Amino acid sequence: MRYYAKPLANLIGELSKLPGIGTRTAQRLAFHLLEGDYSDAKALADAIIDAKEKITYCSICSNLTETDPCYLCTDLTREKNTICVVESPRDVIAMEKTGEFKGQYHVLHGAISPMDGIGPDDIRIKELLSRVNDQILEVIIATDPNVEGEATAMYISRLLKPLGVKCTRLAAGLPVGGDLEYTDEVTLSKALEGRREI
Amino acid sequence: MERLYLKNYRNIKEEDLAFNPTLNLFIGKNAQGKTNLLESIYLMGTGSSHRTKSDQDLIDWDADYFFLKASIIKRTREMTFSYGYNKSKKEIKIDNNPLQKIGDLMGYINVVLFSPEDLQMVKGSPAFRRRFLNLEISQVNPYYYHNLQKYNQVVRQRNLLLKEIRANYAERKKKRDLLSVWDQQLVDLGSRLIKKRLEVIERLDILARLTHRKITDGRENLKMEYKSVLGAIEEQTSREEIEIIFAERLKEDVDNEINRGSTLYGPHLDDIELFINEVNVRQFGSQGQQRTTALALKISELEFMKSEIGEYPILLLDDVFSELDSLRKSHLLEVIRDKIQTFITSTDADAVNEIQSKYNLYSVTEGQVELSKGSD
Repeated sequence: MRYYAKPLANLIGELSKLPGIGTRTAQRLAFHLLEGDYSDAKALADAIIDAKEKITYCSICSNLTETDPCYLCTDLTREKNTICVVESPRDVIAMEKTGEFKGQYHVLHGAISPMDGIGPDDIRIKELLSRVNDQILEVIIATDPNVEGEATAMYISRLLKPLGVKCTRLAAGLPVGGDLEYTDEVTLSKALEGRREI
Repeated sequence: MERLYLKNYRNIKEEDLAFNPTLNLFIGKNAQGKTNLLESIYLMGTGSSHRTKSDQDLIDWDADYFFLKASIIKRTREMTFSYGYNKSKKEIKIDNNPLQKIGDLMGYINVVLFSPEDLQMVKGSPAFRRRFLNLEISQVNPYYYHNLQKYNQVVRQRNLLLKEIRANYAERKKKRDLLSVWDQQLVDLGSRLIKKRLEVIERLDILARLTHRKITDGRENLKMEYKSVLGAIEEQTSREEIEIIFAERLKEDVDNEINRGSTLYGPHLDDIELFINEVNVRQFGSQGQQRTTALALKISELEFMKSEIGEYPILLLDDVFSELDSLRKSHLLEVIRDKIQTFITSTDADAVNEIQSKYNLYSVTEGQVELSKGSD
């Protein structure tokens, strides 16, 4: 980094910590920022600080929010008796885009994974348990369909079963609108296993 | 495979080769690059090398990337495959469409490799036989490969948790509850793998026995048996029954597993036993019997793939041809004859004297490949 001026080296270093950004991209971004207007750089820096300061976790669902509780938890038109459990705030957005789910959310911020040193206490399972009461009829567990997501789903369902709450898991199956012949074998095998009577 | 283009692959700087539809021979002294050619074909079929785990090793010393491109005729349709790696990223394309996962490559170009190390399949540790079985089934059944990868991940996660429980005595009780969620997946995925293996072994057993009888003029009777660490499991055992037995074993031996910090039951520890006339070949077979068994297993693999996917895989013979005696050699040639595209490496040009069908002969010297005798 000798050939960079110190503040520039600093900027490149910080940028390259971001996911998906290598040193080469970081360098390009840094030069772009320096060559651009002062106001653009300021706007970016302010936006980062502003977001960082104003965004917190919702005290109910643990989603990222500007107001606490978040707009989803305070929305009176949403059903109160269903909770959809997801791994990350990105998953909430994905679910919301469907427009089909009208209940509450709970964001775990991770999945159980001994390899990453993440146990049940490191994700927001306790917070979920405290939300489950007589009014909750169903908990939909929408963690990722990989082994860590499955383990998390099973762990949660074991804790909830004794409380008499119905636990459901998202189905795996065929992509809608696709042709059967173009579906990959793994998805098709899974769909075959999960077939239903009509 | 019609054509193969290689760039910066191991010691091969750049080559563009057109192949014979049946027999192709690479002749050259040791360490000239013959096996590298076979390895590149193997890589295009399975997504990984049989000699190294790191793609880094596949790049020419003086370069920072390698690139392979092959034209394949698959059931009369022509397809192109490319495989590139530049030290940070690997990109595989089929007909110019990039693949999302390496797993998607499985099943397009099917290859069977026969090398001197394959004797380990008979003589060596159970890991060699599991590898043989896993690779074999994965190539014809992508769902098996998917489940295998998930299963291995569960074993890794579970082993770490077992070690955590061992280290942290205070939270032992609580962590044990956590173990059961991994057990459930271990048993579910593991029983699927075992069931599929049983099905495949039943078929392979028959195919290998037929081949073995032919090579030995009916004197020897080869038998394959799946031997699970779970204990009594037979061909007829249903997946549900395997699940029950598996779960039972885990429950009985949980303390031992915690002490050892490792998962002690499951298909990742199972084995195949091989018998000739009721005698265990691994322990008591002669050198010759072991070689014949390895050859019979390989040929059964070819026939199995043919029956599963409707066409023969590409056969790669790495340095084994010259080592076979004339009886085994002629039997192998008969199996291959005009129906299986085969690539053979040998140091000895005389090894091909007995071949009567058409073939291409390439001489390989210091990474340079030259066609020295073409067919027709």
